[in-house]
Amino acid sequence: MSGLSESLHRILEIDGARTVTLVDVGTGMIVESVGEEPAGLPAAAASLADEARLASAAAGPERSGGDLEEMLVVSPDHVHLLKVLSRSQDEGFMLFVDVDLARTNAALAAMRVAQFAPAVLR
Amino acid sequence: MDMTRSEPAVAGDDSSVPSGPGQLEPMLVSIARLGTSGLLRVTGDPGGVIYLTDGRIAAISTPGAPDPEAILLRSGRVPEAGWSSAFAAAASDGRMGAELVKRDLIGAGELEAVLRTALADALFALVAGSVEECRLEEAATPALLPLDPGAEAEWLLAEAERRLGVLAGLRAPVSHDRDRLTAVQGAWTPRVGPGDGRAEILALANGRRTARDMAFVLGRGVYAVTLQLSRMCDNGLLVIGSTRSPARAAGLRAVSAETAPPGPADANGSGGAPPLPRRRRGGSGQAGPRSAEKASVLRMLRTGVRREPSGG
Repeated sequence: MSGLSESLHRILEIDGARTVTLVDVGTGMIVESVGEEPAGLPAAAASLADEARLASAAAGPERSGGDLEEMLVVSPDHVHLLKVLSRSQDEGFMLFVDVDLARTNAALAAMRVAQFAPAVLR
Repeated sequence: MDMTRSEPAVAGDDSSVPSGPGQLEPMLVSIARLGTSGLLRVTGDPGGVIYLTDGRIAAISTPGAPDPEAILLRSGRVPEAGWSSAFAAAASDGRMGAELVKRDLIGAGELEAVLRTALADALFALVAGSVEECRLEEAATPALLPLDPGAEAEWLLAEAERRLGVLAGLRAPVSHDRDRLTAVQGAWTPRVGPGDGRAEILALANGRRTARDMAFVLGRGVYAVTLQLSRMCDNGLLVIGSTRSPARAAGLRAVSAETAPPGPADANGSGGAPPLPRRRRGGSGQAGPRSAEKASVLRMLRTGVRREPSGG
């Protein structure tokens, strides 16, 4: 198992986490993924990268709030958590974590992912 | 490194496997099934070499896409001085990646992620190009920065196909190694602070560089730069100034009348003033390409020959 895969597996141990994926923001490519791999995950990863780029353009480092760090998409059953790990010149890497809300809550999941995220690229 | 050649399906007795266009993909799949190690030399445009370890792809070197060294250095992820000292200490015995991490020049996770994205970009460049021959050889020297364990060929091939499909569906298609981009004067106002890379691209868009050229300068992936160029064309910041003829590869493959480039394209890829910037059909349009156009764009990406739809 690669080091990257091990790091993602640690995040997969968070309560409710079903899929943990590292996505290349510039291309929408899945760099590494662990846990469940639902059909359409590659297309979803590319869409998420687009959303992150658009949200980042709206927030932007030159705006008062600073650059995009995290996005939460909450539905009745799931929370999709995007965490930007590195970003430069329209490229970088972000984490996508699919969390089952029956087993945790969105805020707790976001906090736990934030604790583990910095170690992924180290 | 030993090269396993247990099956003639992968390499014949002379380890030469002549193949035509479209044969790279099935060859890589066969090699993966057999767990072959060695080096697959791909002749064509752009061509390159694929380093294989136990059927997995560990590294790719091609003039069609920046290698990890170019990406790490030119993107500024690893400083030049640090790279040089790590290279002097470890390059000779194949520990370059470990040395970069040990010296805290880059994290192990980030290095692995960069190696994976560089592999995907390089294979995309090979698959989008033309393949004349694939020759399986014993790897005399290991790659400088191999991915360990290597990436699965089928995964990389699926990613390459996904990328070709995305490019074919863009509203403002750009050929990654043919179209030379020109900045539209006055269309963009520079902003203060770290940006999204548009300023760097506009500075390079002088009508002489393709997406591939810019990727090498910036230390970014060819596909990622192509996507951004397409978006910038769509936003009116760039126009395709000229299109490089596929004739550069004439020594590698015969260009039939069917694929001859239309118009007065620059045959030698350099020299002469490029024609005036022109807008492409649909470059500022609202709708995506029609399905008839999509096949045309896919063909353009693979052959470098652009054909405007005849209407309807």
